[in-house]
Order: sequence, then C-alpha cells, then structure tokens
Amino acid sequence: MAFLLRRLAFYLAAFMAAATINFFLPRMMPGDPIEIMFASAGSELSLENLNALKLTFGFIDAPMPQQYLAYLKSVFTGDLGVSIKYFPLPVTELLGRALVWTLGLMGLATVVSFALGSLLGVMAAWRRGTRFDSAVSLAAIFSSSVPAVVVSLIVLFVFGYQLGWFPNGYAADPMLDPALDWAYVSSVIYHGTLPMLTLVIVLTGGFAVTMRNNMINLLGEDYIVMGRAKGLAESRVMLWYAARNALLPTVSSLAIAIGTVLGGSLITEVVFNYPGLGNTLYQAILARDYPVIQGQLLIMTGAMLLANLAVDLSYVLLDPRLKRA
Amino acid sequence: MKLLSQLLHNRKAVVGLVILTLIILVAIFAPWLTEYSPVKRVGRPHQAPSPEHWLGTTRLGHDVFSRLIHGARVSLAVGFGAGLLITVIGTVLGIIAGYKGGVIDEIINFFTNMVLVVPNLPLLLVLASFIGQASPLVIAIILGFTSWAWGVRVTRSETLSLRQRDFVKSAEMLGEPAWRIMALEIFPNLISIVGINFIGSVIFAVITEATLEFLGLGDPNTVSWGIMLYNAQNASALSVGAWWDLLSPCLALALLGLGLALINFAIDEIANPRLRTGGMLNRWTRMVRVGEGKL
Amino acid sequence: MSQPVLSIRHLTIDYIGAETDFSAVRDVSFDIAPGEFFGLAGESGCGKSTIAFAVSRLHKPPALIRSGSEILVNGRDVLDLDEEALRAFRWREVAMVFQSAMNSLNPVLTIEAQFHDVLRAHSRISRAQARERAAELLELVDISPDRLSAYPHQCSGGMRQRVVIAICLALNPKLLIMDEPTTALDVVVQREILQRIDVLRRKLGFSVLFITHDLGLMVQVSDRIGIMLEGELVEVNDAQTIYRHPQHTYTQRLWASMPRLQGEQIAREALP
Repeated sequence: MAFLLRRLAFYLAAFMAAATINFFLPRMMPGDPIEIMFASAGSELSLENLNALKLTFGFIDAPMPQQYLAYLKSVFTGDLGVSIKYFPLPVTELLGRALVWTLGLMGLATVVSFALGSLLGVMAAWRRGTRFDSAVSLAAIFSSSVPAVVVSLIVLFVFGYQLGWFPNGYAADPMLDPALDWAYVSSVIYHGTLPMLTLVIVLTGGFAVTMRNNMINLLGEDYIVMGRAKGLAESRVMLWYAARNALLPTVSSLAIAIGTVLGGSLITEVVFNYPGLGNTLYQAILARDYPVIQGQLLIMTGAMLLANLAVDLSYVLLDPRLKRA
Repeated sequence: MKLLSQLLHNRKAVVGLVILTLIILVAIFAPWLTEYSPVKRVGRPHQAPSPEHWLGTTRLGHDVFSRLIHGARVSLAVGFGAGLLITVIGTVLGIIAGYKGGVIDEIINFFTNMVLVVPNLPLLLVLASFIGQASPLVIAIILGFTSWAWGVRVTRSETLSLRQRDFVKSAEMLGEPAWRIMALEIFPNLISIVGINFIGSVIFAVITEATLEFLGLGDPNTVSWGIMLYNAQNASALSVGAWWDLLSPCLALALLGLGLALINFAIDEIANPRLRTGGMLNRWTRMVRVGEGKL
Repeated sequence: MSQPVLSIRHLTIDYIGAETDFSAVRDVSFDIAPGEFFGLAGESGCGKSTIAFAVSRLHKPPALIRSGSEILVNGRDVLDLDEEALRAFRWREVAMVFQSAMNSLNPVLTIEAQFHDVLRAHSRISRAQARERAAELLELVDISPDRLSAYPHQCSGGMRQRVVIAICLALNPKLLIMDEPTTALDVVVQREILQRIDVLRRKLGFSVLFITHDLGLMVQVSDRIGIMLEGELVEVNDAQTIYRHPQHTYTQRLWASMPRLQGEQIAREALP
C-alpha cells in the first residue's frame, strides 16, 4: 500500500512537471510569448475569446508566480483551453475523441505484442543455444532497430499499395456512420489491421528480448533445478517456475516501454491517417495550434502516468513478496 | 583493447561494423560518388530508377541517390553527436549518483525518474513546434538534453554494485579524491555498459531525428533522410507510384539501425556471456549425436 | 550387501568447451547400501556436486556424461531412461536437497502449491488428499500445517530448509541426496538438521548421499565416506577408518590441515 501511495505522489509530481514545461516554453522562446502562442489565431478570434484563452494559459497581468498558479488552476480544473484551428472546440473534447482511437489501437497492440513477445522470449530462453533461439533473437534485433516510421511506411507500401489487401488510411470507411453494428465494427477492424500490424512488428522484438534475458538470468536458480528434479512436466517448470518469476522484471520494464509504444503509435497514426492523438497532434503542429499542442503533452503525460500506475498495481498483484506478510 | 578484439570475433558485431563502416564511408565520400548535386534539379519529376538516376528522382527533379548519400552525413552526424551528448550526460550523472549516494543521489534519481516518465516523443514534439524549423544541430541539442534519463538509470545501478568492491574501498582508504575514483576506478569498469548506452543512444537519435523531420519539424532545406521522408510524404509518393522516393530513405534508415543494433547486441553478449546465442554448443551437439555421451 | 540403492560405475563427466574439455568427474565408482549414510567429501570444484546432479540427470549442456558410465538406482540404469520414464523416476526414487534451501523454493507459489505439484505430477491425487499429505509431511519436520498457505519469503531460513526436506520425502524416496545443505548455517542449526535427518532416516529407511567439504562434520554422521580429489575418488572407507587410519595422502593431508582444539601441537605439513 505504502508503495502505491509513494508512486502516486511521484506521478503527481511528474504531471506537474509536464504542466510546468508547458508554462515555461512559450515564455522562454525569443519574442512575445502571447504572440507566439496565439499567432495562428490571426484576426479570427474576437477580442473577448482571445482574452479568455489568454487567461486559461496564465497570461494575466501579474507577476510570474501568479501566472503559474493561474495556469495550474486551469489544468487541474480540466480547462485546457480551446483549439484555435477548430474554434470553439475545447481542447479536452478534441483530444478526448482522439484518445479513444489511440487507446484502442495502442492498448490492443501493446497487449498482443507483450503476450507474443513474452511467449517467444520464454521459449527462446528455454531452448537457449538452439537455432530457434538464434532466429528469435535476430528477428527481435531487427524489428526493434528499425524506426516505427519506416516500418509503417513499408507496411503501407507492401500491403496497402502493392498488394492492395488493406485500405490505406482512416479508422473506418468514411462513408459509414459510427454505430455499433457489424458494418461499422468490421470496417474498423479492417482499417485497423495495418496499423496494428505495424505496431506489433515494432514492439514485439523488444518484449521478446527482455523476457528472454530475464529468463536466462534466473535459469540457474536453485528453485528451477528443484522444479526439474521434482519430476514436474517441462512445461510446468518453464511456465510456473521460470517464466512466472521472469514476468516480474519484464512487467516493470513494460512501464518504461509505454513511452516507446506511445511514440510508435503516434507515427503509425500519422502514416495511416488514423484519427488518434498522434494524427490530431500532427495536424495541430502543422497549424501551430498551440493550445492543442500543449494540451496533448498533458494528456499524453497523464496517460503515461496512468499506464505506469496500472503496471505498478499489477506488479503488486504478481509478486507475493510485495503483499503484506 | 580486449573488448575490441572480442568484438571482432563475434559474427554479429562484424556484420554490424561492416554495415556501419560502409555507410560512414559512403557519407564521407559522397561528393565523389555522384555527379549530381543533391539540391539541384537534374531530371524530370519522379523519374523511375534508371542508369542515369540509380534511385530515380524526387518530385522536384532532384537525384534521389545523391540526396541519399549526402543525407547520410547529416543523419550520422546528428546520430553520433546527439548520442555522444546523451551518453556523456547520462554516464556522468549516473556515476555521480551511484557513487556519492545520499542527497545527491536522491535528487538526481528524482529528476531522472521524472524525465523518464514524461513521454519522450510528445515532449520533443512540443519543444520542436515552439522552436519552429529546427536545424539538425538544434535537433541534436534538444535530443541530447532530454534523452539522457535511461543512461543514468543503467549507469547508476552498475556503479552502485561496483561501489562495494574492494578496489574502490582500498582507493578510498588511500585517500584518493572522489573525482579520481569515479573517473579512473569506476568508469573503466563500466565500458561495456557505456558502450551499449552510446550505441543505443545513437540509434535513438537517428530514429528520432528522422521522425521529427518526417513530421515537418525540421528545416526543409536540409538534406537528410528524415527530410527525404518528409518530402516524399508531401509529394504523395506512394499514391503516385513513386516508391523509390520514399523507400530509399526508409531502407537506408533500416540498414543503419540494423547495423548499430547488431553491434549493440554483440557487446551485450560479450558483457553477459550467459545471454549469448548459438555456436558454442556445436561440439557438444556433435558428440551427443555420435553417441559419445548424453545429459 | 543386498542390492545397493545407488550404484555408480565408471562415471565420467566432462564439460565440453569450444575447443577443450574440462574433466569434472573421472571414472568414479561407488555403491550406497539401503539405509546407509554415505558422505562424499572434497574441496570445492572436486566434482562432488557434479555427481549429485548426474544421479537425477539434472545437468544441462555443456555437461556431458560419457558413454560407458552407469548410474544404477535400485538396479535400473538411470542413463537408459527415456524422457517420460526419467520424469516419473525423478523424486520418486531419488530426492535432492540443494545448497541453499533459501532459494530452492519457488518464490511465487505457496508452500502447499509446491507440495501439490509434485504429488500431482506423480499420481492421481485430489487437492484435498494432497493437502492432507502435505500436512503430514510438515509434521514430520515439526512445522504446523497452517504454514501451508504461506509463501516462502514469509518463512524463516531454517523453516524453509525443513520445508524442503519435507517436500523431499513426499514420495518416500529410497535415496536422499543432500548437496552441502548445512554450509551456510551455523553449527547449532547444522546439528539440528542432521539429527532430524537421522531420525527420519531410521523411521523411513532411506539412504543419504551427503556432500560437503567439511570432513570433520561428516565423520560424525556418516557410515561410510568417499574422498574426492580433482574428479577422482581417491579413497572410500567406513567413517572410523577414514578418521583413524586414512590411507591416501590427500586424506591424510586433509586431516592435517584441520586445526585441533585439544592435544599436542602437530608439526604443520606443507600442502601443495
């Protein structure tokens, strides 16, 4: 319990750090921060709307500390401002819609890659020194050293354009209305296949190598040998004695990997024109829509922290040594 | 150095080094390897690969091959430059945190964890969007100053375990100043960790630079692989069928990444012999097969 | 004697390297009778643990048991068993206590689960029956059955040691191999464990192959002792003879290198 509380406090501090970065960035750039932030508004925003926006971001007529507090107040009351490009859509709403798509894609891809990668890692470690092990290790090196942008472009090229098996973009057929019917859902699945494939290629290798290394590091432990000496089936020793223990450090590395997952899915969304956070951010950058750009840093940091917290929770559940005696 | 000779005996490392050396050589000798300037219009837009233009042309009529090999310079420079910066910061902070312990360690650790938990790419995107058109140098600098956290963690934990060793304790008792111990006693034992960290950082820097430029945050006048991707994407290269425009930088990036990753894996294997794959059991397997023995 | 529980004949084990091999065990032969306490002594690296592992065929590459070796347990050559027969054989006829019992228990399974899986692997047994048997076994080593739901880290080191011994006896093995089980413990605990093993041995009738580098300890508890040096078995005899009339020079030197608390000062002999 204490462990979780400490982590929670830490995450809060990290979130504040992100907010602080958001606050100081425009103020550190050469030039008038207000001009930089709202340059893209041009003459389109009425004065009162512009003033409201300024207030949200802490550009008040007061010394810096008060500006900072004003901004923090906005953040912690959920007011991330309004998008300039899509005025008057609130940033939270814009990013919220996109977040759903990203969570779906990223979440599913992470689960699949983690499961697949861990399984491959377990088997490679168990059959250490064989050709299977070499093959898995090499494939893992390859897939994790190629940038996500390259993988997604090549996947798009091969399966989207050359073979034409899958569509080249969007989350679903643009002609369909979003609904919980088979037509729409199947379209979502169909359109999501290539982005999913890309992410799984990018992520599986890393998980496989981590699990393999963790397994190998504990293969010499006495309880593994005792498991075999007890005459247990090999699968039982491999899974319940070795893998189950190797799972612990692998799960904790998952927390760190989430940042990479996020980065990879950002790019994949851009390449496949998938309406997730990544693509929204991309459009915002093109339009220099700073409220959205800053808002996404907070939302993404928040998502990272929540994911980390989830990993911490599962760690507590998985390791009996962390439970109260 | 022992590590170097061990590397040269490792097949993965050799392949990786060959790839890397090839790319570096091509980058260095770029102007001599092609007659075309990378920024002049020398052909018709989107010409397919031909004997005159080995990798075809871009939408603006630039020779893709020329841009590719000149672009190698920038990608390598940013990769190694930022990689070096990341590694230096990470190693120094890591050793100090691990060796000194106490409050200094707490502070460094706190900031490191914080930087680690804020997602890297979104942060870079925000930074780069404020900066505007970031030149490769600027990109290298922001990469260097935001991405050191992982190196600190790894270096710190190794330093912590080294700290307890006898040779460190005896140096302390002899009255050696802290900086000397850290630089001359601890650091030499961290070479393989630092090496892996460095190459990992280079890979990261190359990938991230390309990504940032692909997204349009770089300086469009640079000739680099990332900008080539950006231009190709903007020219809808895939839809119009000009696959060479897009795939050339793609494959170049993949190749560089692969070469570096092979070297890294090899260093890891040498440092942790347990993690080695393949090869060692050949004699054993043969003996078992001919019936000389069993398990 | 009647059929020996363990009969090792010409056991040769090498570790195969990339170019050269390391000879860990060289042509070792000895027997252990039913109910006998046999000690195998020698310094670190002499091959005694290698032999222990070989009996249950627990080695992994690059270890190699050379053909011509025989390991007979109750008359059956373990080296001839196929995979399934080997799995069934393990723990049923030979059980093993490892060097640090602290690490011999799987950290993520409860004590009960660690009894259950071995019982289940070797017979059709229900959960309830397994639990009963586990409680029975724990009682043999003076542990209350309410510890069944605990995890290893929740038990003290000594308790874990006893749990491992209890698990070892789960299938009534005829041979218990103990690989330096007391090395990390203080002398009082050492004595307790060895006394307990002795009591259990008389009660259940199993033999013990006891491996240690502590010759003095071994003489007190063993019926017969084998001395190993660099992979070879240089002397085998009953404990008293090893103590009073050691034949081999190495054995003599081992005794000479141990400081005595009483008696006259002996001239120190130089050891190579």
